[in-house]
Amino acid sequence: MQRLPLSYIRPGMKTFEEVVDAQGRVLCGKGVELTESMLQKFQELGVSYITVEGTPVKLPWEKTLEEELELLEKRFSGVKDEFLLHVKEVLKEVLMMKHSSGAKNG
Amino acid sequence: MADPSEKRKEVKKKIRKLEGLPALPPIIQKLNALIEDERSSLTQIADLIEKDQVITTKVLRLANSAFYGFPRKVSTVQQAMMLLGINVLKILIMTSSIFEIISKEDVGLWEHSVGVAACAKILAEMKEVSDPQEIATAGLLHDLGKVVQMIAFKEDYEEVKRKVEDGLSPLQAELEVFGIDHAEMGAFLMMQWNLPERLIEMVNSHHDLSRSKKYRKESALLHLADLLVHARGYGETTYVGLPPFDPKALTILKVDPSEIKEIYLKLEPRLYELKFFTEELKREMT
Ligand SMILES: [Fe+2]
Ligand SMILES: [Fe+2]
Repeated sequence: MQRLPLSYIRPGMKTFEEVVDAQGRVLCGKGVELTESMLQKFQELGVSYITVEGTPVKLPWEKTLEEELELLEKRFSGVKDEFLLHVKEVLKEVLMMKHSSGAKNG
Repeated sequence: MADPSEKRKEVKKKIRKLEGLPALPPIIQKLNALIEDERSSLTQIADLIEKDQVITTKVLRLANSAFYGFPRKVSTVQQAMMLLGINVLKILIMTSSIFEIISKEDVGLWEHSVGVAACAKILAEMKEVSDPQEIATAGLLHDLGKVVQMIAFKEDYEEVKRKVEDGLSPLQAELEVFGIDHAEMGAFLMMQWNLPERLIEMVNSHHDLSRSKKYRKESALLHLADLLVHARGYGETTYVGLPPFDPKALTILKVDPSEIKEIYLKLEPRLYELKFFTEELKREMT
């Protein structure tokens, strides 16, 4: 699954989650193939993000887990403070969680 | 080498006169008059702002950016006023030209600033610090002094960068070149703009908590937010690794290390969305 701003959504992409409007009303269920007219309507109703199936859009700034972890090591090189090392461990955990949930569905 | 204390005076004088800095939007005077006049209504204030299309567009874009994290789209000035409060809205209007300059001159610093804004707001909500919207705005402005260096003191700023490359810490390099660091420079400019005292103190002390007197909790919050965003590696500043961190911030703010995970779990989706926001700005500018 991939969460994307409405402007990145193209007809033919399938919803992974329900689409809700600003007031929390459900506009569209999950597993629905989106059409041009649906997107138009979402735009009018102020929908800002939609979560779709798979990973249809390659985001040039997204890094792989390996890249993320390598950069993390770099940022923390030489750090010995106990609290800061704790922050580093937490970040590792959060990054791994983020990447595993993406891979499972993507 | 120039005498840093002389340079310090020169820098302050230049900021006081707003030399080389963008002028405040003309709408600000009228806006202030309206806000001070108790008889004026919110609708009147919103009408005034909406007459200025450029400002309206900029303000709505900031209000919709993920660092505030509103679940619904903010489409009118009225809505922005309800969600952010008139004071925060005024600050966004006053500083909109500065934000435009940061996003043009130094995207890395811009990303860092919006990241810190998002993190500061999350911390303010968790720790029940009053007016998280305003706290987020302090995050947005915290490295304002660097922008001042970048646009009003171009050559000196290059000198700072050289010194950092030679191994000096960024703050030390600033002190050698300017006799004043970016935290104090930013706070000084905010004073000229009559921004709230609380925000000025936060910005002034974001690398040195001993500078905060009245708003110690808020200052500790900004210090921690700056560290956490650097640690996450969002945006870019003169720090290649982490900025010096004062553990007193944790005691003052009553943050237990076990809470760090919760903070990052809230921050991560915000940063994900913010990236689209900054990328969009980048595209519009090229
Ligand atoms: Fe800073
Ligand atoms: Fe910073």
